[in-house]
Amino acid sequence: MDFATFSQFALSGLTTGCIYALVALGFVLCMNVSGVINFAQGEYVMIGGVGAALLAAYGLPLPVAIAGAVAAGAILAVAQERLTLAPVRAAPLFIQVTITLGVAAILRMGAVVVGGRDPLTVPPLTGDGVEEILQAVVPTQTLWVWGMTALLLAASFWLLMRTDLGRAIRACSINLHAARLMGIEAERLTLVVFALSGGTAALAGAIVAPITQANWLAGLEFGLKGFIGAIFGNFRSPGLAVAGGLAIGVVESLAAGYVSSAYKDVVAYGALLIYLLLRGGVFVTGRAALAQSSH
Amino acid sequence: MGQVLRGQQGAAMAAFVAIVAAYPLIFSNAYLIGVGIAAGAMAAGTVGFVLLIGYAHQLALGQAAFCIVGGYVSALATTRWGWDPLVALIAGALLAMLLAYAIGKPILKLRGFILAMASLALQLLLIAVLQEQEYTGKALGIPGVPKFGVFGIRLDSDLAFYYVTWAFVLAAIVVGLNINASRVGRALKAIASSEMAASSVGIDVTRHKVQMFVISAGMASISGSLTVHYLRVMGPHIFDFAYSLNIVTAVIAGGLMSIWGGALGASIFIAIREIVRNAGIPYLESIVMGVLTCFVLIAFPRGFAGLVAGAARRLAGAPAASAAAGASPAPRVEAEAAPAAGALTLSGVSKSFGNLRAVSDVGFAAPAGAITALIGPNGAGKTTLFNLVCGFQPLDGGAVAFAGHDIGTLLPNEIAALGIGRTFQNLQLFGNLTVLENVMCGAHRHTAAGILEVSARLPSVGREEAATRARALDCLRFVGLEAAAGRYPSELPFGHQRLVEIARALALKPALLLMDEPASGLNDTETERLADLILAINRLGVTILLIEHDIRLVMGVADHVVVLHHGEKIAEGPPAEVRRDPQVVSAYLGQ
Repeated sequence: MDFATFSQFALSGLTTGCIYALVALGFVLCMNVSGVINFAQGEYVMIGGVGAALLAAYGLPLPVAIAGAVAAGAILAVAQERLTLAPVRAAPLFIQVTITLGVAAILRMGAVVVGGRDPLTVPPLTGDGVEEILQAVVPTQTLWVWGMTALLLAASFWLLMRTDLGRAIRACSINLHAARLMGIEAERLTLVVFALSGGTAALAGAIVAPITQANWLAGLEFGLKGFIGAIFGNFRSPGLAVAGGLAIGVVESLAAGYVSSAYKDVVAYGALLIYLLLRGGVFVTGRAALAQSSH
Repeated sequence: MGQVLRGQQGAAMAAFVAIVAAYPLIFSNAYLIGVGIAAGAMAAGTVGFVLLIGYAHQLALGQAAFCIVGGYVSALATTRWGWDPLVALIAGALLAMLLAYAIGKPILKLRGFILAMASLALQLLLIAVLQEQEYTGKALGIPGVPKFGVFGIRLDSDLAFYYVTWAFVLAAIVVGLNINASRVGRALKAIASSEMAASSVGIDVTRHKVQMFVISAGMASISGSLTVHYLRVMGPHIFDFAYSLNIVTAVIAGGLMSIWGGALGASIFIAIREIVRNAGIPYLESIVMGVLTCFVLIAFPRGFAGLVAGAARRLAGAPAASAAAGASPAPRVEAEAAPAAGALTLSGVSKSFGNLRAVSDVGFAAPAGAITALIGPNGAGKTTLFNLVCGFQPLDGGAVAFAGHDIGTLLPNEIAALGIGRTFQNLQLFGNLTVLENVMCGAHRHTAAGILEVSARLPSVGREEAATRARALDCLRFVGLEAAAGRYPSELPFGHQRLVEIARALALKPALLLMDEPASGLNDTETERLADLILAINRLGVTILLIEHDIRLVMGVADHVVVLHHGEKIAEGPPAEVRRDPQVVSAYLGQ
C-alpha cells in the first residue's frame, strides 16, 4: 500500500471527521440535558456555512461573517428550544424527537429560500495555499479546521470537567431526574447547551465551508454521520462520541478512496447497522439487555 | 363498555366505507382520483405504523426502508421477471417482514431509540446500495412499471385501482382493529404503560415489539408496491429520508392511539401536499410539511383521530357505567400448582451497584405453602432481592431455585410464566387500561391466541377472551372490587389501586406471590383487611413472600421471617423468635 495515498485519504477523512465529531458532541450534550435527540444538530453546521458565505458575499470581513454565522447558529438553536421543545416538555420523548426532524426540514428549506440551491463559496481564512503533511497535500484551511476542532473540543471538555456548569451537565447525563431534584435548573441548562452546540456546529460549518463549499443539503449528511458517532458513544460518553465521529470520517474516506466513492455511505451506514445488530444480538443478552438502553 | 366500543367502531367503519366509496363519485376527474390512490397507497402503510409507534411505542425513523423493499420487488418482478403484480406485492411484503424480523429480533431487546437508529441505517444503506446497481437502473431507477392487476386481470381504469388500493387499506384496518381488541393489543398497551409490570405478568415485551415491527414492515411494503404501480416507476429516491419523516408526521397528525388515525393522517397529509404543490411555489411543500410536523405535534399530540373521538364522546355523553358482572357464584379463584411446587430457595445471592454491595451472600428458603416475610430497615436490599428473584437484574453470584427450576438467569416474563406473581412497592398499574383489563393482563400466560389467530379474529379467540374476562372478574371479586371493573386505575382511591395490583397478580394463578410492601400507604383499617386478604390468598395454596415494614402485619400473618440489614441476612426464624433477636433489635433501633 502506498503510504502517500493512504495518508491523503486518511487526512481528508480526518477533516470531515472533525465536523462529525463536533456534531456528535452536540448530540450527546443536548441528549444529556434534555433527553431529546436533536436531529436539527447537523443543520446548524449548514447554517454556519451558508451564513458565513452570504455575509461574506455582502462584503463583511471574513472573521465578522464567521462570527455572524456562529451567532445565527446559536440564536436559531435557542429559538428551536424555546419555540418547539419547551412547550412539549411533558410529551412522550418520541414526539419531541420527531419535532426536531420537522425543525431540521424547516431550517434546510429556509436556507434554500435565503441562499438558493447552488453551492456557495466561503473564502479560506489564510489564502488558497496547500501544505504537505505526512506525504499528503492538503489545503491550508485544513489546518484551521483541525486547530479549531481541537480548540473547541478542549474548551468543551474543560467546561464539562472543570466548571460547575459542566458538573451540572454531567449530573444530568447520569440521572436527569435526580439532578433536577438536587436543584439543577435543567431548563436553563438546556438553553445554554442548545446555544453552545448550535454555535459550535455553526463555527465548524463556517470553517470547513472553504474546503467543502456551503450547501443547503449538507446538514443532512453532517447530522446523520454525527448521529452515528453519537451512537458509538452510546449517547452518554462525549469522548466516545467524538472518537466515533472522527473514525467515521476517516473510514468512509478510506472506503471512498480505495473502493469507490459511491460506497462511502454504504460503509458508514452498514457499519452502524452491523454494530447495532451485534450489540443487541451478541454482546448484550439475557437480563443484561433489560438494563441496557441506547441513550 | 365492550358494547359501547363495538358500536363506536361499527359507526367508524360505516363512515369509512361510505367516504371511501363516495369520494370518486364526487371527485370524478382523473387528477383527484389519482390523489385518492396516492392517499390510499400511503394509508396502507400508515395503519401498520400506528401499531408500531402508537401501540408498541417504537419510533422507526427509517420505516420507508420497507416501502423501498416492496417498491423494488414489485417493479423488478413486473417489468423484468413477468410476475403477476399481486404475487409481486405479496412477495415484497414477505421479504420486508423477513428483513424486519432479522433486524428486530436482536435489537428490540434493547430499550430506547435503537429501532429508530437501526431502521434509519437500513433505509440509508438500501438507498446507497441500490443507487449504484446497474441491475436496478442506478439513480434513474426502473421505468415502465405496469398498472396493478389482480390474478392476471389488469386494472386499466384508475377507478378500479382506487378501490383495490383502499381495499388493502380496509384489510390493514381490520387487522389493526382485531389486534387492538385482543390479548395482543392489551399486552401492547400494558407494555407502553410499564414494561416492568408487563413482563411481571408474563408478557414477552421483546416478542410483542418484534411482531408489531414485522407487521408494520409488511404493510409498509404493500404501501410501497401500490405507490409504485401508481407512479409507474421506482427509483432509489422515491422513498427517501423525507418520506420516512412524512409517514411519521402523517401518523402522528392522524392520531397515534387510533387504528383509524393512520388512514386519516395519510389522507390529510396527501391532501395538504397536493394543495401546496398546486400553489406552485418552489420548496413551499417542504417548508409547509416541516411547519406542519412541528405545529401538529405541539398542538395536538393525540392527533386528529383524538379530536374526533373526543368530540364523539362529548356528543354521546359520558359512557355508561360498566354493567357489573351480574349475580355470580362465590369466588372461584384457585392456585394453579400443587402446594409443594411453590418453594423458593435462594443461596449465596449477591448483587453490587458500583462499590455498593446491595445484597451480599443471602440465602434462605420460602417454604411451599407458607407466608415468609422479608424485613429490614430502609436500604437493607429487600427490593433489590425481589428484582433479582423476578429477573429484572442480573445476579452477580449465587442461585435462585423455584419448584426445581434454576431461575437465576431467566427473564422476568419467563419467571412469571413459571407461576411467580408480584406486586410493586410503587404501584405499577397500567394507567391506559381499565381495572378489568389490568387484571386480564394478569391472565396473559394462560391465553394462547397467537398473532395470526388474533389478526384474523378466529372464533377461538373470542371464546378465550370470554374465559379470560370471567377469570379476571373472579379475581376482582376476590379482592372485593368487581364494581370498579370498568373504571381506570387513576379513578380509584390508593388502597383500591393496591388491591387491583393484587388481583392482577392473582389472575396469573401464581404458585408463589411476591408482595413488595403491600401495606405502604394504607391506613389501619385497610391494613387489617389486607392481612385477611393475604391469609385468604395463602389458604388457596399460594406460597407468599412478603416485604413489609409494618411489623404488626408481619407478626400477624407470617409463618417465617427473614431479616436483612445492609444487604446481609442477620436473622431468620419464627416471628416471635426473630422479634427478640438482639441483632434485629439493634438494627431497627440503631446503635
